[in-house]
Amino acid sequence: MDKVYHKSLAAGRWFGMSLAEQLGNVGSEVGRAIAAQKSGEKQREENAKERAIELFDLTVSDIRWSARLKELVRGREVLVDWFYGNNIYGSSPQNLEKYFYYFAYAARKAR
Amino acid sequence: MLEIEENNDITLITQPVSLAELKQIAELRFGDLVKGVVDIEQKIMAIGGELHADEEAYLLAQGSHQQNLWGINLYPDKTFPELVEFDSMINIRPSQNNRSRSVEDENIRKVIFEIVGSLITASKRDPASAVVKN
Repeated sequence: MDKVYHKSLAAGRWFGMSLAEQLGNVGSEVGRAIAAQKSGEKQREENAKERAIELFDLTVSDIRWSARLKELVRGREVLVDWFYGNNIYGSSPQNLEKYFYYFAYAARKAR
Repeated sequence: MLEIEENNDITLITQPVSLAELKQIAELRFGDLVKGVVDIEQKIMAIGGELHADEEAYLLAQGSHQQNLWGINLYPDKTFPELVEFDSMINIRPSQNNRSRSVEDENIRKVIFEIVGSLITASKRDPASAVVKN
């Protein structure tokens, strides 16, 4: 059976969130992966990466954003490139965290 | 008054706007940041969207050509040129030899600086005093 970290989110709750909330949550996992990488906690880092990708995939599958997929799938590609690839897009922990931070900010502001 | 056309959250900038107005737009969503897409041919920009891709789509619908569109972030609390940041997912465009979120071509960055410098001014009263740092 496939591993699913966010069962209730995958079951539907994710699709009630705004895009900023979704990407802010993806960013939380990205931040955790970066923090675990810095502290050398390999398993924590891998788990956070997998959770980030799982959440990003939920966002990509959200039909509300079907007309906005270009940036979303590109964003996923950049993230996966940094996580597992050769960082061909020249990402850094700082610019990745900044990208997601502003969505988290906007989501909090909208509450 | 802003010389703008508004479409949902996106504002099309064709005439100079002040840093104060830009700051107001920033505060509506991201706090200290406004996302923008510049059309380097028409010398206009769309700002205020949630995603750069939203502004890009807006400009494409207005008749812009993909190869002329570049994503930037604007920080109205900073001064020109530091207020411009070249960092957008839409900039990853290997067909134009741009393989990062930045704008790698110095000449294009220069054009973008010129456009932003002409469209964002220190104050509403004096567009000529465009925020240019010596």
